Formats: sequence, structure tokens, C-alpha cells
Amino acid sequence: MIFEDFESFRASGAAARVCVIGSGPAGTTIARKLAAAGVPSVIFEAGGEEWSEDSQDFYRGKTVGDPYFDLDVTRLRFLGGCSNHWAGWCRVMDKHDFEPKAWVPDTGWPIRRVDIEPYLGEVHDILELDAFRADVPISDDIRLVQLIKSPAVQFGVKFRDEIERSPLIALVLNTYVTELTGDGRRITGARISSRDRDAGTFVADYYVPCTGGLENSRLLLWSNARSNGAVVPNAAALGRYWMEHPQFLGGDAILSDYSIFPTDSTNEAFFSPSPAAMEARQIMNFGIRLIETPYGGVKQIIADLACVAPDLAEWTSAQLGQDLRCAAQLYVGWEQAPLASNFIRLSETDRDRAGVPRIELHWKKSDMERRTILEGLRLFGETLAEKDIGRVRIADWLVNGADYPTDQELAGHHHMGGTRMSDDPAKGVVDRNCKVHGVDNLYVGGSSVFATSGQCNPTTTITALACRLGEHLGGVAGA
Amino acid sequence: MALSVAADMSRRRLIQALLATTAIPLLAALPKDADPNAIVEVGGWILKRGDLR
Repeated sequence: MIFEDFESFRASGAAARVCVIGSGPAGTTIARKLAAAGVPSVIFEAGGEEWSEDSQDFYRGKTVGDPYFDLDVTRLRFLGGCSNHWAGWCRVMDKHDFEPKAWVPDTGWPIRRVDIEPYLGEVHDILELDAFRADVPISDDIRLVQLIKSPAVQFGVKFRDEIERSPLIALVLNTYVTELTGDGRRITGARISSRDRDAGTFVADYYVPCTGGLENSRLLLWSNARSNGAVVPNAAALGRYWMEHPQFLGGDAILSDYSIFPTDSTNEAFFSPSPAAMEARQIMNFGIRLIETPYGGVKQIIADLACVAPDLAEWTSAQLGQDLRCAAQLYVGWEQAPLASNFIRLSETDRDRAGVPRIELHWKKSDMERRTILEGLRLFGETLAEKDIGRVRIADWLVNGADYPTDQELAGHHHMGGTRMSDDPAKGVVDRNCKVHGVDNLYVGGSSVFATSGQCNPTTTITALACRLGEHLGGVAGA
Repeated sequence: MALSVAADMSRRRLIQALLATTAIPLLAALPKDADPNAIVEVGGWILKRGDLR
């Protein structure tokens, strides 16, 4: 069932035991799992079926600290959410990503990878993935890993017809949950604004915000502010431990044989460190994306020269009427240390049209991360040299300790943390079942529950966690 | 002119020559019995010491 607004949904008399907020990968997956368990749910989607400037305006906000994307650009507020601009890159977080790193405070999840593995078959169907190839150790330190570039499922497109036919899922568009109300033990209702009008309160048995790694914190912070802490009673970590995957061009490589690594359809290969290497260097996880530019003959020589002497190579390349680049570029994306000092808070001065304070994101990369990118490139370079596979040149800005470049992509548009998972209510917002600590009927879906981020793109793990939460909630609500 | 010189050189020799240029300060301090397989970092390059000979 699909409704254009809350009024038409209410008039239909459709029932819902679970209120899912947001129709992105997490929200859609949870509602589908609930339907499979026979549990009726409603998905409130704040936007419409298509992108609109009017809807995106609700996502404007401010960033304090390191340069970051505009908050109304880095996410999407319409059916399918951020899956609408997802590139489709897939990998599940590794086993060691769930385990604590003794050298980094506040790492480790209360669950392990085996807890989401039973759902990976469903995830492969949802995201239309082939089986992952096993990692290939290149040395004791570095592994060739696979990152599948999937068809980039847009959840609103793929599942629209299924939802429309479903008697157990009511998708309600143009319906913004501005606030949850609670009594300190239970959520008592969701305040609704639909088509820019106050539409009253909707009551369900269970509530699951799935509005993304920024908006989940905003909704709960505002709900808590309005209820004097009765929505998230243990709020020490609420909005905190926010993380991204920063990424920069960190260097170049000359390879002795450009066919030595199997590259994908866009001539890219991916590498990550072994857990032992991370421990030895006392760093976080990282991923190196090696982008080969396949040249031959003299062009290859000049491209290799471009790694060593860019000015000379540019001149030589111009003589050939070519624009040749260093033949292998090394982009590095990495896992941030989870820090309480990276946080989301509510603006004291700026509100959206519904009166909800906008986000103020405080985010800064730490010294640990600087060490991670530098030591990561060293590990990779040492592996290539020891194995006589090639040689790596680390970029000048890294070697010289200069500031991060500002003319690059900056990060992956991966918004993680803010309602992180922990057994300790002082360190996390949700427990191992994604239930908010101390509240009987409030769960959270999406990457805001990530305790740490690993190095890989998050959508595959988000979808697996959503399958797990959907199944758990189906059991609880269906009992 | 530069193109014909580059085309006449083997890629390995060309790169070795260019790498060696950046490694002059290290070469000056290179002990004769240094392990050629030892990893060194010169001007951002991760090299084997033997690359510099």
C-alpha cells in the first residue's frame, strides 16, 4: 500500500504495529522482513517519490571542524533515501572490524560478524551481488580484497511495486516524523507533519528510526530535548562517536607487471591490512584503491616517469599530444577512531520549516588517522618492494606533514555513529539487538548504530544489520 | 629529442636513473655492506636499498 500523505493513510484505516521512519535501505529492509513475519508496519517517508529542492532544504545544516560536504547534498530525502545516489560498492565488514583494538579506546562491537552472517544470503539477493572472492594475502601485512561494484540498487525503485501490493506494508510519502514522545520507559507516539501541516500523533507498538547516520541522531536529540530525556534516558553517547570514511589520493605506484593484480572493470584493485599489521603499527583499518591506467610501450614509460618526475613527464607527454598520468594511483580510505568529540548537536539558532532544529556536525580527523594513512601506505609500499612487485611513492603532502588537500573528494558520504551499539549505556545508545537502552519499544536501524566503521563501504553491512533487526522485531512484535 | 632518448632506454634503466637522482643524499651515507633488500624511504619512495646502487 502506498499513500501520498498521512491524511490518506489515516483515512484508509490501515493498521500498523511497527512504525518505521525512513524508506532507505534499512527502513525498507526492516519493513519487508516484518511483512515476511506477518507483522504489519508503516513506513513514514518525509519526502516524495522524486528528489525536490523543497524536501532537501530540511537537510541543511552546519559543519564545524574539518571541511565536509554540505549536509543537504551528502544525503537524499525522498523515497529510497541515500540509495538513490549510492555508487553500489559492496563489501561486508570483516571479522576483525567487530573486535576491539586494544590500542584504540572504545572499539569493538557487542556482536560479532557471525551474528550477521546468517543474513548475508538475503543481502546478496537484495543488493544483487555475486559471491565474494576470498581475500588473497600479498604479504603478512597486506591482502588483496574484493569490493563488488554492484548494480547499485535504488530501494525505492526496486521495491516500490512489492510494497504497493503488500497488505502488510503501508508506505506513507510526504510524512515527516518531527518528534517521538515517551515516558522514560516507552515511546508513546510519533508527532507527524505531512505536506507541511501538523497532522497530530501516530501511535504504534514499536518505533524504528531509519533516517540515516545524521538524521537518526537529530530526531532522537530533539525528541529528548522536548521530553526532558524521556525518549533516550541513557543519552551520554547520543549524537556522539560520529564517523566517516575520509579518503584522499595518498600516492602513486610503479608496478613491474601491470597484470599482476586482477583489476575490476574499471581497472581498480583494493588492498587492506592484516589485523596483525594494524596492531604492529597501532593504526586503524584502511583500504587502498589502486587505479591502473593501462598504457603500453612508450606511453607506459612516460606514465611511470610521471610518478617520478611529473613536470618532465608532462612535457614529454605533450610532445606526444597525450595527457598521461602516473600509471597507478593510490587512493586511501580509512576507518576513523570512534571519538566522543566527533558529534552531532542541535543548532541553537537555525530550524527547518517544521520547527525542528537543524544539525550542527562537529567533525575533525585525529592524529591516529593521519598515522593510519601514512603507515598504511608504508605497509603497502614495503610489501610491493619486498615482493619486487613495484615501488610506491607517498604524496608530498603526507610526507611533509602538510594539511589535507582541499581539492579532493574528502570522504565517502558514509554517515556512521551517533546512536552506536554498545552493551554499556554510557558508551552507546542501542544494545546488541539495536534496541535503545532502557526503552522497551524503540529500535534504531541504519549506520548510526555502527560502533566502529571498518574501512569498507557501509551499505552491505547496513542491509545485513537491517535483516537481523527485522527478523528480531518480527519475533518480538509477532509474539 | 627527449622522447627518442626515453624510447631508446629500457624502462628499468630510466626509472633507476630517476630514482637514483632523488636518492643522492642517501647514497652518500650508504655503507658498502648494507643489506640490498632492506627497505628504505627516500623522498616519499618506498624502496629497496639495492634500488639505489
